[in-house]
Amino acid sequence: MFEKLSKQVWWKIATAVLLFYTCIYGFIVKAPDLPILEESIRNLFFHVPMWFAMMFLMFLNLIFSIMYLANGTSRYDVYASNTAVAGFLMGCLGIVTGMIWAKVTWGAWWVFAEVKLNAAAAAILVYCAYFVLRSSFDDPELKSKFSAVYSIFAFVMFMVLINVIPRIAGSSLHPGNGGNPGFNSYDLDDNLRKVFYPAILGWIGIGFWISTQLIRISFIQRKLEDID
Amino acid sequence: MLYFLLQHKGCSFALMNLNRVYHLICKEAALEWRNKSLLASMLIYVLGASFIVYYAFQGHIEFQVWSAIYWIIILFSAINILGKSFDKEVKFQYYYIRSVVPPLEMIISKLVYNAILVFIFEVIIFLEMTLFFGIEVENLPVFFLTLFLGGMGFSNLFTLFSTITARTGNVVLLSVLGFPVILPLLLLILRLTGLSDVEVLVDDRGLNIGAVAVLDMITLVLSVVLFPYLWNE
Repeated sequence: MFEKLSKQVWWKIATAVLLFYTCIYGFIVKAPDLPILEESIRNLFFHVPMWFAMMFLMFLNLIFSIMYLANGTSRYDVYASNTAVAGFLMGCLGIVTGMIWAKVTWGAWWVFAEVKLNAAAAAILVYCAYFVLRSSFDDPELKSKFSAVYSIFAFVMFMVLINVIPRIAGSSLHPGNGGNPGFNSYDLDDNLRKVFYPAILGWIGIGFWISTQLIRISFIQRKLEDID
Repeated sequence: MLYFLLQHKGCSFALMNLNRVYHLICKEAALEWRNKSLLASMLIYVLGASFIVYYAFQGHIEFQVWSAIYWIIILFSAINILGKSFDKEVKFQYYYIRSVVPPLEMIISKLVYNAILVFIFEVIIFLEMTLFFGIEVENLPVFFLTLFLGGMGFSNLFTLFSTITARTGNVVLLSVLGFPVILPLLLLILRLTGLSDVEVLVDDRGLNIGAVAVLDMITLVLSVVLFPYLWNE
């Protein structure tokens, strides 16, 4: 299914259209008149969907890791490692856009009081460790097996860091955590919603697209090295 | 899905022999006791670490700082203790052990033994740190529950990762892999330790204990399910 999907064109066109729509209409749409946030609310179309894209790609990484452990087919390991690379890229972009937003609204690039920010940084570290683990083996089969096991742990901890810790900690500046209002207070504005949902699909789509390209590169490299 | 992974490796809890698990734990303890150098060196390590902290802070410390430093010492000693937990097996008796002990019994005995070992060290560090700093914890039962749950979580994660380091021979890898993954647990534990010092916020305490216990259960299940994949290589 994955191979078939990665060769089809329709979702690539849809992704391109959605992203153009996000980038153009996202700056034209009338923003609600909110104090402090003001025009920076438009970052909602970039920062939040990037994290969704990272979660989606890391979930794919988890699925492929489990499939690798169950089947032992090295193809799944290539899928798993490359979806992790694309997800990592999306996470880094999410952190950078978040930092810009934090500078505008909270007044600093990095805020310690913000639990979710630090948890997100830790989640990025977890996946850094995943890449370190991958690079420290000589035996390819051992590498695939051990990194598949680690990535299952990594995904569980990623979810705990992003979704559980900020809610328990009770003092977060992000909406939806620690007594702050959730998305609904912005989303009530129908104009924003018209861009926000397409933006989510668009960013997930481009993350997936990048991962399929990385996978193709890996397969070509493997062919050059006569592994397959 | 996890159950499927376990079945896939031909492991089943029905085949598990608790008697054998008990004997494996005894074997582990006997080996440790026979060669006391590791235990003694860990004891000195822990003593030295808390003494350095005592000198560095000149004997005076707030409870919050105390708990942070306490858990950092535990983290480092746990990495040192648990990082070696598969060294003997992998180096000298790998094929023998693999042929006589099913992986499920192996990992469960190791997890239980390591959890007990870490808990003992936690208590030792606690005694030293209270001796040096004269800290009084308000609610000791909650504090010791935190110690127990924390030790269990540390042992669940580091025991599995020590298989990886034992197989690669790269000792630094354990801290590289372990630190980011242990972080959520450590954050929750630190918060719980802070809560064990105040008598208010009882609701918060229940939530935190629940969160740590759930995290322990998740790591336990993952360790048990994934260990056969690392062991039967």
